[in-house]
Amino acid sequence: MPYWYYDKKDLLTTPSSRDGITTEAENRYRKEGARFIIDTGSKMDLGYNTVATGVVYFHRFYMFHSFKTFPRYITACCCLFLAGKVEETPKKCKDIIKVAKSLLTEQKFASFGDDPKEEVMTLERILLQTIKFDLQVEHPYGYLLKYAKCLKGDKAKLQKMVQMAWTFVNDSLCTTLCLQWEPEVIAVALMFLAGKLSKFEVVDWNGRVPKHTAWWDMFVEDVTMELLEDICHQVLDLYSPQTQPPGAESPPGGAARALPKNDKRPSVTPPASVSPVAVNTNKPTVTPVKNGADIKLEPPKMDPMRFTYPAYPGLAPYPPVYSAPPPNIPPPPRLPIPTGPPPPLVYSEPPPSRFPP
Amino acid sequence: MSDSSASSSKSAPLLSVNEVSGLFESAKKYEELNVIGTGAYGTVYKARDLLKGGQIVAMKKVKVALTEDGIPLSTLREIALLQQLGAYKHPNIVRLLDVCHGGNSLEREQQLVLFLVFEHVEQDLDSYLKRAPGPLADHRIRSMSFDILSGVDFLHSHRIVHRDLKPHNLLVASDGRVKLADFGLAKTYDKDMRLTSVVVTLWYRPPEVLLGVSYNTGVDVWSAGCVLAQLHTRTPLLPGASDSDQLHCIFRLIGRPPRAEWPENVSIVIDSFPEYPPQDFADVFPRIHPHALDLIQRMLVFDPAKRLTALDCLEHPYFTDEPLT
Ligand SMILES: Nc1ncnc2c1ncn2[C@@H]1O[C@H](COP(=O)(O)OP(=O)(O)OP(=O)(O)O)[C@@H](O)[C@H]1O
Ligand SMILES: [Mg+2]
Repeated sequence: MPYWYYDKKDLLTTPSSRDGITTEAENRYRKEGARFIIDTGSKMDLGYNTVATGVVYFHRFYMFHSFKTFPRYITACCCLFLAGKVEETPKKCKDIIKVAKSLLTEQKFASFGDDPKEEVMTLERILLQTIKFDLQVEHPYGYLLKYAKCLKGDKAKLQKMVQMAWTFVNDSLCTTLCLQWEPEVIAVALMFLAGKLSKFEVVDWNGRVPKHTAWWDMFVEDVTMELLEDICHQVLDLYSPQTQPPGAESPPGGAARALPKNDKRPSVTPPASVSPVAVNTNKPTVTPVKNGADIKLEPPKMDPMRFTYPAYPGLAPYPPVYSAPPPNIPPPPRLPIPTGPPPPLVYSEPPPSRFPP
Repeated sequence: MSDSSASSSKSAPLLSVNEVSGLFESAKKYEELNVIGTGAYGTVYKARDLLKGGQIVAMKKVKVALTEDGIPLSTLREIALLQQLGAYKHPNIVRLLDVCHGGNSLEREQQLVLFLVFEHVEQDLDSYLKRAPGPLADHRIRSMSFDILSGVDFLHSHRIVHRDLKPHNLLVASDGRVKLADFGLAKTYDKDMRLTSVVVTLWYRPPEVLLGVSYNTGVDVWSAGCVLAQLHTRTPLLPGASDSDQLHCIFRLIGRPPRAEWPENVSIVIDSFPEYPPQDFADVFPRIHPHALDLIQRMLVFDPAKRLTALDCLEHPYFTDEPLT
């Protein structure tokens, strides 16, 4: 079975980068492609699971191909098309193309060629081969809910925290986190972030044993604070002004933020290999938990696919969609949010509120 | 390079897509050595994995009919499920190592050739039994029976019905462990793609399948019962010559079922069969352990609801009275 997790340095030497595309541009293409899958999926009433599966296919695909060879929007369509079938929420190829056309500029849609449907069909086979038919993808959402059920504390606050974490998970699809960490680890990190930001401190949880220093020790072993912060930063960077506005022709002048070292991986992961082929994947140490919690947690009743922080009490809501957090947000401890002018709003139209079911 | 060049390549996407797809006939990673088996739905080759130091694998070639919307959902679901099951690394399930397709050379024919790459297992149970110089030792029979039922129970616990358990689909590894093969693709096996020349064996079919009524996990327990019996005798228990003869064979052994148990809405009426009395299993299988006899008898029950489940079988005294070694 293929192994899909990469070291940071592998993410800097992708087919696109070998093809002369800068890391900044590649990350922007990834973000735009992911965002486009999210938008198309929402518009077609596809569930968060299908959308997330499509996005993971997309990121994996470009670990083997260059954005120069395969234009991102048609690949994105194909990923969503395949995810729809795999998650048993199929959409007709021609309908996906129709929605895509409505969301894209004429110039961008030109990349679909003269026979868009045939193009997607051909691409489907390339996609399947590239992702090695490894179709079943797990996402952090389920873990988020599972973990939350074990946490003790004020229910309303907990609910708020989960909602925020849910939104971060949506946003994380636009990063390469799904190529770096298992969904369990991402869920822990983004719940940690949401906890910090919503001031919900977890002091007790079901199944706590003396050797646990934090709630996540129950679920994932050896998660360091550095790792958690690194993951959180990668999501927060989405809102940061460093994000190049799409359409910019050249990479930003300044070097990217110093990359935190990724060498201390928690024991849930076997060592990352450069080629994700047939490494023995030890299933992550996900300790089953007898949960006696009576809290019923459902996916939050909000629009979690929106690119905004959920509003929380006492703070002005963040500006909609793909923007930097307002400067008056107190930076969470040890997680400074870079300041600066917000990038222009690109996706001005918020996706319809359909997620989650 | 700036992304202006990236967008310039957009002008000829059709070309680029087709050009690159040629490189993805990753079936070429494997060197075919010889045909190991031809089944009703595909050919199985012994092959060498050229990327993994020449490791020997078994490659199953399956043709999939493409639909208007590409690869059928059912096939994708089945492959996803096979991959998911593979993650458990169950010792009695043959390991799926890779899936690839044969490129788009057959594109115009609206079919796709899929290659399912499995671990290569020494031989199947059919040839194992044929090659056995004499009766199998009791402990061998017992551990092979346990292997088969463990595999079946694993599939059932993942809501998969094998539907075609038979010695050809049970593989015997060099250490004697039995592994289930050839499951999970029932919907992918398109009827039109069937090789009509290959005769499908009826010998392991339960009455509900032969009668054409709905069936469930019980089919596998019946088939496994037939296989278990065959481990003791090394000859098929119920070698029917046709659908109806198969039912006669079954009723001659277990007796014609009581009228009340005959399913409704079946075109075949119960009176087309004589009132066969049930045979005494002890006469059919002289010299076998009473526990083994009891287990097989409880697996070969007409009414699927009254048959043991695979899990029941694993907890039968035949396995639990003495520890398996
Ligand atoms: N992993 C394997 N290792 C070794 N031999 C194998 C393997 N898988 C299958 N075979 C051989 O190939 C034969 C056919 O394989 P398989 O049962 O998968 O095909 P099939 O088309 O479904 O056949 P049938 O319809 O008869 O069940 C098997 O009977 C077995 O002898
Ligand atoms: Mg077979």
